Amino acid sequence: MSQPTQEDEVLAQQAAHGGTFPASAPEAKGMSQGQIVRKRFFGHTGALVGLAVFIIIFLLAFTSVGWAFIPGWWKYSHLDVSPLVNDGAPTSSLWPLAWGEHPFGQDRIGRDLFAMTMRGAQQSVIIMLIIGAIAGMIGAVVGGLAGYFRGWVEAILMRLTDIIIIIPVLLLAAVVAQMASRRDEGSWFSGFAASNGVLVLGIFLGLVSWVGLARLVRGEFLTLREREFVDAARISGASNARIIFKHILPNAVGVLIVNVTLTMSAAILLETALSYLGVGVKSPDTSLGLLISQNQEAFATRPWLFWFPGLFIVLICLSINFIGDGLRDAFDPRQKKFKARTAVETARHSSTTTALAAEAPKGS
Amino acid sequence: MRFGRTSKAVGIAAIAAFVLSACAGNTGGTTPTTGTAKQGGTATVVETNAFYSFNPNTADGNNDINSKVSYATHSGFYYIDNKLNVVHNDKFGKYEKVSDNPLTVKYTINEGVKWSDGAPVSAADLLLQWAAFSGYYDDANAEAKTGTSYFSYAGDPAGLALTDFPEIGDNNRSMTLKYSKPYADWEIALAGPSIDVPAHVLAQKAGLKDTQAFIDHLKGMPRGDAKAPKAADAALKTMAEMWNTGFDTKTLPSDSNLFLSNGPYIVKSVSQDQSLTMVRNKDYNWGPTASLDEITVRYIGSAPAQVQALKNGEADIIAPQPSADTLDQLKALSSQGVTVEQGNQLAYDHLDLNYSGPLAEKNVREAFMKTVPRKDIVDKIVKKLDPNAKPLDSQLFVPQQAAYANSASNNGSSAFGDVDIDGAKKLLNGATPEIKIMYNKDNPNRVDAFSLIRESAAKAGFKIVDGGLGASDWGKALGDGTYDATIFGWINPGVGVAGVPQIFRTNNGSNFNKFSDPEADKLMDELIGTTDRGKQDELITQIDKKIWDSAYGLPLFQSIGVDAYSDRITGVKFMPNQTGVWWNFWEWAEK
Amino acid sequence: MVTYIVRRLVTAAIILLGASFLVYLLTASSGDPLADLRASSAPNKQALMDARSELLDLDTPAPLRYFKWLGGAAQCLVPFANSCDLGKNITGQPITEALGFALVQTLTLVTGATVLAILIGITLGIITALRQYSALDYGVTFMAFLFFSLPIFWVAVLLKEFGAIGFNDFLRNPEIPLPVSLAVGAIAGLLVAVAAGGDLKRRAITGGSVFAAVTLVLVYFSATLWFRNPGLGPVVIAVAGVGIAFAVTLLAAGLKNRKALQSSLIVVGIGVVAYFAVQPLLAEATALMIVLLAIGTVLIGVGVGYLMGGYDRGQSMRSAGITAFLVGGLVILDRFMQAWPTYFNNSRVRGRPIATIGAGTPNIQGDFWVLSLDTFTHLLLPTVALILVSLASYTRFTRSSMLEIMNMDYIRTARAKGLSERSVVMGHAFRNALIPIATIVAFDIGALIGGAVITETVFSVRGMGFLFLDGIMHIDPNPVMGVFLCVAMTAMVFNLIADLAYSALDPRVRIKA
Repeated sequence: MSQPTQEDEVLAQQAAHGGTFPASAPEAKGMSQGQIVRKRFFGHTGALVGLAVFIIIFLLAFTSVGWAFIPGWWKYSHLDVSPLVNDGAPTSSLWPLAWGEHPFGQDRIGRDLFAMTMRGAQQSVIIMLIIGAIAGMIGAVVGGLAGYFRGWVEAILMRLTDIIIIIPVLLLAAVVAQMASRRDEGSWFSGFAASNGVLVLGIFLGLVSWVGLARLVRGEFLTLREREFVDAARISGASNARIIFKHILPNAVGVLIVNVTLTMSAAILLETALSYLGVGVKSPDTSLGLLISQNQEAFATRPWLFWFPGLFIVLICLSINFIGDGLRDAFDPRQKKFKARTAVETARHSSTTTALAAEAPKGS
Repeated sequence: MRFGRTSKAVGIAAIAAFVLSACAGNTGGTTPTTGTAKQGGTATVVETNAFYSFNPNTADGNNDINSKVSYATHSGFYYIDNKLNVVHNDKFGKYEKVSDNPLTVKYTINEGVKWSDGAPVSAADLLLQWAAFSGYYDDANAEAKTGTSYFSYAGDPAGLALTDFPEIGDNNRSMTLKYSKPYADWEIALAGPSIDVPAHVLAQKAGLKDTQAFIDHLKGMPRGDAKAPKAADAALKTMAEMWNTGFDTKTLPSDSNLFLSNGPYIVKSVSQDQSLTMVRNKDYNWGPTASLDEITVRYIGSAPAQVQALKNGEADIIAPQPSADTLDQLKALSSQGVTVEQGNQLAYDHLDLNYSGPLAEKNVREAFMKTVPRKDIVDKIVKKLDPNAKPLDSQLFVPQQAAYANSASNNGSSAFGDVDIDGAKKLLNGATPEIKIMYNKDNPNRVDAFSLIRESAAKAGFKIVDGGLGASDWGKALGDGTYDATIFGWINPGVGVAGVPQIFRTNNGSNFNKFSDPEADKLMDELIGTTDRGKQDELITQIDKKIWDSAYGLPLFQSIGVDAYSDRITGVKFMPNQTGVWWNFWEWAEK
Repeated sequence: MVTYIVRRLVTAAIILLGASFLVYLLTASSGDPLADLRASSAPNKQALMDARSELLDLDTPAPLRYFKWLGGAAQCLVPFANSCDLGKNITGQPITEALGFALVQTLTLVTGATVLAILIGITLGIITALRQYSALDYGVTFMAFLFFSLPIFWVAVLLKEFGAIGFNDFLRNPEIPLPVSLAVGAIAGLLVAVAAGGDLKRRAITGGSVFAAVTLVLVYFSATLWFRNPGLGPVVIAVAGVGIAFAVTLLAAGLKNRKALQSSLIVVGIGVVAYFAVQPLLAEATALMIVLLAIGTVLIGVGVGYLMGGYDRGQSMRSAGITAFLVGGLVILDRFMQAWPTYFNNSRVRGRPIATIGAGTPNIQGDFWVLSLDTFTHLLLPTVALILVSLASYTRFTRSSMLEIMNMDYIRTARAKGLSERSVVMGHAFRNALIPIATIVAFDIGALIGGAVITETVFSVRGMGFLFLDGIMHIDPNPVMGVFLCVAMTAMVFNLIADLAYSALDPRVRIKA
């Protein structure tokens, strides 16, 4: 089914430019690209709110129940079983504002849902970051090599991505889940997977979700390598490595970062879907997707089991999407703040003066 | 076997269904009788799986939904009621034990019982069932890859394999089986419980003139011998192939011979993977009379979707996979007249300890058993489903069986009623054995049971290692020695005492923890040849004690089943075995 | 060009071969097909396991099994031989048959949803682009991301609870209390006021009129039990038709084009007359007839536009044609509403029309209208669920594509020429923004065949997704391979088509042979 993949979006957007070169007119004098991007990003309300929400969730999730060997400030862990308080219903209340023993409630055997949700949020964030790192890395390398060297390198790499793109993720996930839950003695993979289920899932999803990125990066490289500044560098004797890293990559980094964030938000949903189908994270470890799929039957009767983890999924996804949206606007010099009315007026006005005036970029 | 692979489910005694009235004031409507309900009407029943075969007896077609459809469209010598009694249907025919030594059983079909194409149901049909269920003609040798295996029967041929070629008599209406040695499960051996496949259709397919030619042909063939395989018999092969796969279909076949009925209903239409509709069989008068004119089966996989379909009036009767939440949701529907029933099923979860590794010593096993918080497990996992749930105290009986109480109080299970950490510590004497527990990680009940056991056992000094495996792996790991204890489920075998040695006899197929007790083995050998019910119970009670005495492990709790039906329908009653609510479909009626 | 296509097809075939081998091995190694039997206590456990092994041919190593399968699958390439053999699934059904069935199920489920998602998504995208960083833009963006972030099984459960069960309960006594009408009207008015552009006064007027209109309509519906006996009638069709005529002309030709407006209005007149004329015909309707009528309607509209002429004949024909189609749609909608009470009271439906599961009411009988309504009520919820989750990508994509185009020099030039905003947006910007959208749509159609695994599970529709999942659950490679073949081939063909279409639409893009 056509679950929205936002890589497609950018892929086609890029294609829209075809062979034309993006007009990267300087925004304002005396600002580096980094400064411009930062300025634009911080001018984007949605992105700022998204960033704030994400940071709060991140801190909450990692400090409350602790991470790795660092203990957290919350009194329960996601594995602790304690007696049912209030029949498992949440003890927190808005008025009077109180936190209570189990603010999000408990599941049927008395595990604290707040601890589980926090643990789940941690896992989801970890999966997301791993996917972002792996997919971004492989996508950049494969796409970059294919786009820069072309020829047989491109042919092989792109056919490879074609193969990976048409193998269903669900099937791969089922295989990985199966391998991870196996416990053959002597198999290093299952040994590793047994204790690091989330890590394995994240790595696996990273290994399959780079293909879209690779295609985008390749497209970007294809246009950039034909640019004059690359020719200039080549003539002045720069090595391939220098051209790639010093000249092309910095120009392609915007596309990369934007799409990595979008891949990451899609990855959280993918994890949710896989856990729902029973091939994602396995209990007793937990993730947000697993929590809501385990508790979907509780939707009408013990809604807190369903709503709290669901709320966190939505919050993380929303914030990442808004951050990505802000980054896209910030990195893309073509995306100006555009107002139809002012545009009309300026255009009309300028048509009476000079054609050149219309070319002058409006202040952003 | 008809109702799933593992359930030769005829119980010894009753399992009562808890009929929960929907709410305090609403006590009516739960005990309807067919007398007050009107004739006619329709009902929609929800099933999880989609129908795909008109022959539920084959290894491939053996699925609960196929069995249920077959049950409603065929009749036989008996059916099983929800107290797990074998109820004889004398209007169809009778069967009785003619002699004890050698064990001889005679089946006679009444005059007038016929297939929906008009052909009489005769001894030829019984003979076909016998040939298919006994594997009499098979001479296949798996190692040498010689010989032929004709019918691919899903059930256990062990009982009927003891019989010789039956005697046909009474103008082709009776068949007499003679066993070479006593067989405990004779009453359900020629199990259908109904007669499903018409011999005359198969005979026609194989080019045989009529059912008489069919009988003669089979009579002329010798018993198959794997050591001296013969060339395959063409006619029998043709018939067996048709029996094996000819009835597999997801749509209504154009050839009506493929779905002949001899029961209360006949299939009218099949919508692939969506629904199946049965209407009344006009000729039928040889058994319980059905009230509804039409029954529609719809397939819905997930439990919440089933509940919502019931709530929305798209379904009348559902039996979802129960969870506390599903049950609460169903109970909340009582305001719109939905009745919810719940009860114990024959399946139960248990903890088995290996007789090897750190648990090789009886003291350690016993110490471990003392730490298992069985009450807590029951409270947290099944109490929400069934407020009266208690830990199961017998390895071989379920509480509703008459022999359970006696066996449970004498088998030594009382020592493990409560958690006894101090006792366990004493037995351990300072040791801290590392115990790896294997269970199905994808089954939330087992995950929760594991969490609770880990919590408690750790207090006594056990180091618990999480050996949980995924759904597709834990079964393979059973008995492979990579774990020390395991949590999983059995289905109580009921009268099918053949299942008892399968689990508990030395070196048998499903004896995964390598329990071995020569005396118990002897008792089990005796059990399998005992035809008397009382004697069977006595032997099982003794075996139960032997198992508990050796600190085998602990049964934990029985699974809970749920069914619910809308206010349009009456007459639905809970059933513990895999027939589910279908067992008395003829009593279903529209209000 | 031909070389290019041939090369692409050959590469595709090689990729398919390689990938299918991988998929087969992966499926075969993804679990233990005998798992459920291993833990069985049945005395004949071994026999059952042997039977299953034989059925799935487990004694042959998976790579060899693949070539056996390939041998059968290769016969599908022989034209007209009808000897296609993709194996059987675990229930003994040939895969070719199962695929045929599943494909129909999936296509009925996702086609409507995808088309609607594309239409709504593009519309919202354009509107948000034109009002970038307005309250409307933020609102739509937020909602789009929100729906995108919701797990679909969650959306499905909520939809069933409120959209089906709640609405059906409401239909039992479809009276809307006055406060509810007022509240709904107020919310609608408020939303429109926020979304509408312009100064405060204009917003207040728009919001106020929407509030009044919505509230009055609801009160009217409640008083006449409209939801039980819905209908439009010639008057509403005429009024709505005139509205459509103005709107279509505005977008397609501009209101200044009098001839176009007149043709559209004439078409509406013809439509109202035809409303009475076709009623007896519609009583005997079949699907084919509806299609023919639709084609006829559009032709009449185009004809009227042609006869009216004007300075731009094409614009007149276009507006009249589109208007004719939409008015025809209203007439059909009205006919469906006429059939509603019959459907509602059908003994199989029993007054609860909106379904939560399945693809149709079992054994329902009735005329074309009742049967179509039945399909419609079953498709409603999954369609809404799918639209909600897939809306985001189309909206966001169209928005950014549109924004980009609006900043292009040629748009500036068009404005500078003094073109109306309508022709700048509709004529210059929108058309160019559509080019990349066409690519996305082609990609999505390729993916569409794969079915919606979770949606199918939740709504109990046994389509391609279910077939695939079932294959994986039973470790049965045959159905998995069948679905994979279908999906991969459509995806590849549509990717090729997308690339070709792209170079056709945008002459700057050249295919490199």
